[in-house]
Amino acid sequence: MANNGPPDPAATFRELVTTWERNINSLANQVMGTESFSRMMQEMQRMQLALQQATSEAMGRRLAAMNMPTREDIIRLAEKIGDVDRRLAHIEAALEGNAVPAAETAPRTGRPRTRQPPAEYLSPNNQNKETPR
Amino acid sequence: MTNTEASGSDVGTRVRGMVERAIQRGVKGFQYATSGPAKVGLTPKTTLYGRGTLQLYHYTPLVDELYRVPVLMVMATTNKAFVFDLLPGQSMVEFLLKRGFDVFVVDWNPPAPEERGLKLEDYTQDFIPTCIRKVQQETGQPDVSVIGYCMGGVLSLIYAATHVDGPLKNLVCLTTPVDWKQMGLTTVWNDERYFDVDRVADTLGIIPADFIRQMFEMQKPAQRLAGQLRVSEQMWNDEFVRSYRAFERWGDETLPLAGEYMRQTTKELGWGNKLFTGELVVGGREAKLKNVKVPLLSVVAEHDHLAPRDSTKPLLDLVGSNDKEEILLKGGHVSLIAGPSAIGRMWPRLERWLAVRST
Repeated sequence: MANNGPPDPAATFRELVTTWERNINSLANQVMGTESFSRMMQEMQRMQLALQQATSEAMGRRLAAMNMPTREDIIRLAEKIGDVDRRLAHIEAALEGNAVPAAETAPRTGRPRTRQPPAEYLSPNNQNKETPR
Repeated sequence: MTNTEASGSDVGTRVRGMVERAIQRGVKGFQYATSGPAKVGLTPKTTLYGRGTLQLYHYTPLVDELYRVPVLMVMATTNKAFVFDLLPGQSMVEFLLKRGFDVFVVDWNPPAPEERGLKLEDYTQDFIPTCIRKVQQETGQPDVSVIGYCMGGVLSLIYAATHVDGPLKNLVCLTTPVDWKQMGLTTVWNDERYFDVDRVADTLGIIPADFIRQMFEMQKPAQRLAGQLRVSEQMWNDEFVRSYRAFERWGDETLPLAGEYMRQTTKELGWGNKLFTGELVVGGREAKLKNVKVPLLSVVAEHDHLAPRDSTKPLLDLVGSNDKEEILLKGGHVSLIAGPSAIGRMWPRLERWLAVRST
């Protein structure tokens, strides 16, 4: 039945927002989906990265002159600690591998794992058949 | 009562409603502006394991009797896993727990500078196998079902393809792209003629979260402002605002990425499209999708702009599983797992598929 009451301004607003969003996204995707946009975007990124690299190198030289470790030095140190951590994890994994198989260990979650799916789930007519491929 | 009187009464009711909502907007808008971030991820859990960027959670079961096979959910590397447990009543984790599954989730911390060298090998040959082993130990079960979302689905697929004798029982891929030449704007922007990924990875080390977020937001540039306009109009609606704020927080908490991982995914998956062609080698192991033989469910969204339909479509044809199925649902990349479409359509069908394969 048609709604004969006065228009709902909130509903009109929501429709306007949805239409505006759809149109802007569609237009932007057309512009940004071109090769020339991609080239321009990457060119801007290249310039930004070049500036960042130059700043970082200049800072590194100053820190070296002051006999202080650079960010790169600290990261390398942390990487070495990370390597030790990884090796320990591998040793732990190897030890666990030599232990009893997982199925034979006592589970820490002490609830019975005997749940069965509802009967209707087992019926072939009730499987996920809406979009078969 | 005459028609004129009835019509006048309708107008009165509507005007009264509009005025009430306008007042509510003012009052609640003030609360909105002055309150902290949305409270998300509230389902009780424990952190079972953590190492650097890797976090493994075990959610407290909510029923007495569980399905035998535990479920491990693998989050995309660009975002936090609380989208699986957004809000009470809007949580995939809570839904699965109430249906009798024992749920574990792989989440990611922002990678630290010293983790800039992380590669696909780390995620698929170390992190996922380690988490599966921890789940086996925790549950005492020999096999595990894995649910991967977006890039988490890609990592889970690579894991499955390189661990053919592994303990994987079932694999569910949510919005998981396999044909990376069909990734829409991402494919155009990452054109290897213009995108100098080596320079990006070498200069930045860790790719900042802002960089990743901009890539996402540029694909739907009007989305954020449209969302803000919608929430300002719906400010009287507590449920709408709560959900909006949770999604907003999730989008804002995009994660940085390890530079080496970005370099590898761009070159191997993007430019080489090797997951699709079957040429991908990870950690010395061939990651051919035809090696995946376990029951597989692919859930894809009709209006997914990040993993477009053409990029997800070939999955079923590429895997070697006999028991395989695709569910195509309305909705977008995120609403598929946490929006109204998820609650009403996706979760029940996922549960049904998993339940009969989890005993």
